[in-house]
Amino acid sequence: MHIGSPEELTQKQQELEQQRAAVSTRVRVCTGGGCLASGAHKIRAALESELSGVDGHVHIVETGCMGPCSAGPVIAVDPDGTFYEGVTPEDAAEIAKSHLLGGAPVERLLHRNLASGSVAETETDVDFFQQQHKVVLRNCGRINPCSISDYIAVGGYSALAKALASQTGEQIIETVKAAGLRGRGGAGFPSWLKWRFTRDAESEEKYVLCNADEGDPGAFMDRSVLEGDPHSVVEGMAIAAYAVGAQQGYVYCRAEYPIAVSRLSQAITQAREAGLLGDNILGTGFSFDLDIRKGSGAFVCGEETALIHSIEGKRGEPTPRPPFPAQSGVWGKPTLLNNVETYANVSAIVGDGADTYARVGTEDSKGTKVFALAGAVRNTGLVEVPIGTTLGELIYDIGGGITNDKPFKAAQIGGPSGGCVPKQHLNVPLDYASLEELGAIMGSGGLIVMDDGTCMVDVARFFLEFVQEESCGKCTPCRVGTKRMLEILDRICEGRGEYEDIDQLIELGTQIKDTALCGLGQTAPNPVLSTIRHFRDEYEEHIRDKHCAAGICPSLVRAPCQSACPAGVDVPGFVSLVGEKRYAEALRLHRERNPFAAVCARVCFHTCEEKCRRQTLDSPVAIRAIKRHMVDQEVVVQLPEVRENSENAARKVAIVGAGPAGLSCAYFLARLGYRPQVFEAMPRPGGMLVQAIPAYRLPRETLAREIRMIENLGVRIHTETRLGRDITLSTLREQGYDAVFLGLGAPGNTPLNVPGSDGEDVVPAGDFLRQYNVRGSVPVGDRVLVVGGGNAAIDAARTALRLGSHVTIIYRRTRDQMPAYAEEIEEAISEGVELMPLTQPTEIVRNSDGTMRSVRCVELSLGEFDRSGRRRPTSRKSEPFELEADQVIVAIGQRLDADEILEDATVKRDDDGFLRADPVTGQTADPWIFSGGDSVLGPASVVEAIAAGERAAYGIDLHLTGENHAFWRKDTQVNTHFDPDAEPLPYERESIETISVDRRRHNFSEVELPWSEAIAVRQAQRCLRCDYGKSPVKEDVHA
Amino acid sequence: MSTETQPTEADFTVENLDRIIDAHLDEAGALIPVLQEVQESVGYLPEDALKHISHRLEVPYSEVAGVVSFYSFFSTIPRGRHTVRACLGTACYVRGGKEVLESLKRNLGIEVGGTTEDRMFSLDVGRCFGACGLAPVVVVDETVHQQVKPSRVAELLAPYREEEA
Repeated sequence: MHIGSPEELTQKQQELEQQRAAVSTRVRVCTGGGCLASGAHKIRAALESELSGVDGHVHIVETGCMGPCSAGPVIAVDPDGTFYEGVTPEDAAEIAKSHLLGGAPVERLLHRNLASGSVAETETDVDFFQQQHKVVLRNCGRINPCSISDYIAVGGYSALAKALASQTGEQIIETVKAAGLRGRGGAGFPSWLKWRFTRDAESEEKYVLCNADEGDPGAFMDRSVLEGDPHSVVEGMAIAAYAVGAQQGYVYCRAEYPIAVSRLSQAITQAREAGLLGDNILGTGFSFDLDIRKGSGAFVCGEETALIHSIEGKRGEPTPRPPFPAQSGVWGKPTLLNNVETYANVSAIVGDGADTYARVGTEDSKGTKVFALAGAVRNTGLVEVPIGTTLGELIYDIGGGITNDKPFKAAQIGGPSGGCVPKQHLNVPLDYASLEELGAIMGSGGLIVMDDGTCMVDVARFFLEFVQEESCGKCTPCRVGTKRMLEILDRICEGRGEYEDIDQLIELGTQIKDTALCGLGQTAPNPVLSTIRHFRDEYEEHIRDKHCAAGICPSLVRAPCQSACPAGVDVPGFVSLVGEKRYAEALRLHRERNPFAAVCARVCFHTCEEKCRRQTLDSPVAIRAIKRHMVDQEVVVQLPEVRENSENAARKVAIVGAGPAGLSCAYFLARLGYRPQVFEAMPRPGGMLVQAIPAYRLPRETLAREIRMIENLGVRIHTETRLGRDITLSTLREQGYDAVFLGLGAPGNTPLNVPGSDGEDVVPAGDFLRQYNVRGSVPVGDRVLVVGGGNAAIDAARTALRLGSHVTIIYRRTRDQMPAYAEEIEEAISEGVELMPLTQPTEIVRNSDGTMRSVRCVELSLGEFDRSGRRRPTSRKSEPFELEADQVIVAIGQRLDADEILEDATVKRDDDGFLRADPVTGQTADPWIFSGGDSVLGPASVVEAIAAGERAAYGIDLHLTGENHAFWRKDTQVNTHFDPDAEPLPYERESIETISVDRRRHNFSEVELPWSEAIAVRQAQRCLRCDYGKSPVKEDVHA
Repeated sequence: MSTETQPTEADFTVENLDRIIDAHLDEAGALIPVLQEVQESVGYLPEDALKHISHRLEVPYSEVAGVVSFYSFFSTIPRGRHTVRACLGTACYVRGGKEVLESLKRNLGIEVGGTTEDRMFSLDVGRCFGACGLAPVVVVDETVHQQVKPSRVAELLAPYREEEA
């Protein structure tokens, strides 16, 4: 094919378009990088063999990347655009028979939309595509990238023809200016300005370069464009060459992309043969030719001056600018350099006009941006959205949310030059200025989603290590400065960091930004600076507590489960002891860090399981259920080491509140030889464990047994002794107490402020549960409405249900967003509790006699993201509706009203009234007062309260003796048998049996049933023993 | 999987070198493309080859050596017949690339940059192959293996080992 004039091109285009339209059925097989690796060629072969010998009305084409890489291999069938995902060769054969020959689409392979659950019949119905707007990727996944005919058929090269036939270079530059195109390589420099400078530079010889050295880890936009639509880049470069007056171009492509190189070189050959490259293009007298230069694995060559040197055959070292490439580029000649995506935009801008292009985007940033979505997100892949789309929309609407419904933590945008955007900023529009304000950059478009399993200090270290390795070494700030920064970060990750390190990182980083020679060095500190800005607490945690909450930093993490446990229980230790039926030792090991083994075996929310590494293999070890089996074997109470100490016994320590925090504090103090006195307002000790958590979750005898164990250590509990009534801080002081621990909990309730809510039939969940659990009876309605989504709401609902009520829970967010534990919600529903998410009460409607008739509610919908990273419920203009009810239980928040009891103590409090205490020692601003648990954290979990009690015990002892005696914090290696070379045992995770709903709905019997020993032992043996050979990791973290 | 025979030192002949150099002789900036093709053909860049290239392209040997040492793809020592590269790009890193690399090191018994004694495998670290959607990945020669689990590394390498056996 040779095309001699613009007219001939038009003619050819019409011809090819007709030919294309004549194909009745076209099957597009995605051969993007992801689908190719998942076997796209086999799919094609299977389709072909199935269709061989059948009339040729089905045309099979291999296309570039369609986008949804995680759903691959994907194929689409035209004309209707049926979209199949996860296709195997066997599936392909079925598609051929059933759909292509039989006309019946194969439903099971269609995409199912996550939010609605509906089946997407065609490509346009797929949620992943719905908010996308494709300009750069207009042909990607639609045409055969290896065919110039396909490209011409869809209008390819017509923009070049239009430019050559009817426009001057000036006019083209004006068009690019009017379109508002900015460089898509990262910095966002206005493209037209570069073009103007190059055009204005005086020289016979000029060059046009394309930067395809897509080195940012996590970015694959340019690769996909080159592999999926290489002609669009060739065309864009030819237009640019015409506009600036260049005769020769080079595409500098990294060697890691062999397919991109081969498809692009094929495209160049085809374009030459067609007369669209080379001498006298389209007979217009304009000549331009194009060559490829392959990179050789040097990241710095993405920097423009370095790239130019590499093309010249030299070491790819940057040089200072000015002179800019527009004045002096390749071989000292004026040179225009843009990246792949920028050029792919050019043909669309010149072809469709600047107005059409500028219709999408924001005021300052026009058009679209391609992002490579990767990391912990459901739908990974290649997406193109209007500039200004929010990060939340990209991750949740297009990306489908976080894998395994884990919490979103941050998005890393812009690779080693960019930064991290935390969950508070999910509403940030993806445009150049907004991202820069947050310390990130638009960058080339790599966007890595991170969940709570990512350590931000480790991420910063990772990028710095990368930059340090890739630094060319020419300038000192980059070569030495990043090395020094890396050393500091290494130190922090290894637990040897100091407080000054953070400031030093900021200072060094700022200096490097100001003084490095090229873009690589100037942006290298960004990942560190942005993580310090948004995640400073995580750095501090590494430095102060020597703790990595994500369970990543090897020196700080013995096993991820142990790191995830707020109390730091040696999980692999006790689990492996259970695996050898050594229950007494297992219990003692558990109680080294947490006295409430039996309580936690029932009610713990087990963050340990969420971090368990076994889930990368199949599913996490059932740690809580194994613990349940362990505690059920306890005949004689098992206590760990207790150190008698007569000096400590003489010191007086008061503990106010016999909840998990207070009792844990007392337990650890007693192990140091103290004889703490515990004061409890209620008739029974246990705090929330006895007042709020119902007996069907935690049998009272189980709790009483562990409290008795603590009492037997010399802890004295005075019940019905209320602070503020029977004792005060001043009387304690007068009685000679040296220290006091306030474990007050969060007993106050946030009221429901709607009309009609001030009756006795509107009760706080805390009061309702306390009254039933402590007194044994509580007034309950026939139709109870529980408002709220936390554990208190679920406990109240299941209690009311057991007392014979019909119960409905209304919650203003979705079920996924309920803070209550998922398994509790599930049990409640199976027992017959009704759940109405996205519902908000607006009024309690009363009869004329004042009794409750109903609750008026409105339906809510989810709007934009709030600072917690969740979508904010907003009221839709829907009709209010009424729910019949005669009692409302309110569980929408807890508070602490400590004004009176604190008297003149100088304890500081936060905005919600909770006490401020040192995270390491629990000490408040008043040195003799310590606190922890819900009264500091707000409503938290049992195990967090236990951990806070332990820290306060350490803090009180430190305060009184000036030394650290927390001997239980030293890790020891258990002597259980383990063969590190053996394959992991293949057993699946076993679920916990529960008694049937009929047998539990009207009583308070414990719901969960224990395992048999055979099951428990086998489950314990599933542990991968991440702790093996790694003990002791830390001698004593606070020594 | 590629069934092409891997290069051996026998491919390193002066004729072979000259054939590659001749094709680029008139080109500006020919050094890097020549080095790339020679490495592709021989498997690495022997010192003698570099001297010959320096002589023929009239580029000082110091400059040739400077370029070779600058770019990480060039190697002056023999490599294994298969290059195994564990990706440690961001996406692979946060999806467990480090564990995959550790597992590869254990399985092959070599460190990063090393070559097995039988010269079957060389192990390298890659910084993103643009297959982030399917992280973590391991690239053997030019074949991308996606969503690699550390425990399945032996299965991944088995076909290459069998092919040689």
